[in-house]
Amino acid sequence: MQQGRSQALVHEMGLDEANIDRRMKAVGFEPSDLPNIEAIKDAVVAHVDDYNKTFFDHLSRLEEARPLLTSVALLDRAKQLKRAHIVAMVGGDYGLLYAEQRLELASLYAAAGLDTRAFLGAFHHLLKHIGVDLMKQPERASLERFESFMSLKKVAFFDIALIVDVLVFERERVIRQQQEAIRELSTPVLQVRNRMLLLPIIGIIDTLRARLITESLLSSVRQNRAKVVVMDVTGVATIDSKVANHILQTVTAARLMGAEVIVTGLSADVAQSLAAIGIDLSKLNTVGDLQGGMEEAEQILGYRVLQASAVAPTAPLAS
Amino acid sequence: MSGDVHVAIERDADIVTARQRGRELAREVGFSGTEQTLITLAISEIARNIVSYARRGGMTLTRVQDAGRSGISIVARDEGPGIPDIELAMRDGYSTGKSLGVGLPGSRRVVDEFVLTSTVGVGTTITMKKWLR
Repeated sequence: MQQGRSQALVHEMGLDEANIDRRMKAVGFEPSDLPNIEAIKDAVVAHVDDYNKTFFDHLSRLEEARPLLTSVALLDRAKQLKRAHIVAMVGGDYGLLYAEQRLELASLYAAAGLDTRAFLGAFHHLLKHIGVDLMKQPERASLERFESFMSLKKVAFFDIALIVDVLVFERERVIRQQQEAIRELSTPVLQVRNRMLLLPIIGIIDTLRARLITESLLSSVRQNRAKVVVMDVTGVATIDSKVANHILQTVTAARLMGAEVIVTGLSADVAQSLAAIGIDLSKLNTVGDLQGGMEEAEQILGYRVLQASAVAPTAPLAS
Repeated sequence: MSGDVHVAIERDADIVTARQRGRELAREVGFSGTEQTLITLAISEIARNIVSYARRGGMTLTRVQDAGRSGISIVARDEGPGIPDIELAMRDGYSTGKSLGVGLPGSRRVVDEFVLTSTVGVGTTITMKKWLR
């Protein structure tokens, strides 16, 4: 499941060779780092299970990591992936496939709700253990050992950046989904009477929303064979030239489809400032308030609305 | 006295932020409802220009005092392409984009002071002031 997810993430986050090159550049990784890492490869791979255990032992001591540790399936998969990660870290090949594997582990963390702090703490703990072991290698000069470790750290920071990006990206996904839901909910087109629609607009009109409003209005005009649309902008706080332009375009498009648009609810402040700044809305059919607009729409359609009590019965009811 | 308000302008949502901050400050200074709307509108137009043409810039809103009168100052800066012909850009109905072409001239009409400086390839700075009557 996470594997399919990680492939989708690669695409959604715009990860490609060029992006990975930039990420490598950001951590200062250079071709000269490769031999440094090659020199410690065997030593790290020989102890991979110890290091993996170190990482998860550290997590097990943290309250923040509980969501991951309590799911056996997720934990087993995480251990597998982490082991592969440690081996790959010294593998010397840090291309798209490497990044994709990191994303798989990251999206597993995200699915388990692992806290960023817990992950960072455990990763640091793991690096510390590797570092301490490397410093004990007696056959190499201490500067060389240090350089090897620093090269490995660049890879580690590359990984951290990727994993943090995924955790943030997944968290923002919820926000994005909510925004979409709000957008959909926020442009209702309501049929009030036969061939008469009401379009209440509330909040902020940006370019995307303006397009959605136009689209949903036009499809409703067609569906309901609408002749009159009442567009109420009482809930729009600021109408600047761009919003005005959007409104004009929507009205023009509706007119082309045979529906007349009546705009209602322009507040005194908005009307005055539109006039002052020089936005010409005289082409619009505007009516002060929603009630007035509805009445005018009814007139256009030939409706006559009567209050029930005002209609005298033509004949007394039989008792 | 409230300090400067700085808003980074990069996307549509920032225009809304700048507008809201501007309206708050205008209210604090003591502008009437209509004047608040006018100030908000001018901020909106100028911020939109940054998003549409320069992509990135910033806006600083300040309460100002001069010779016993108070007002609001709006300074918008961007490092965009600049405006080659300012006179033409200030003309009603002129637009290089597909807009109504009222942003710059309209904003100038609703404020008391309007200074536009622009260098092609370097950027544009617009300073607007409106005084309380």
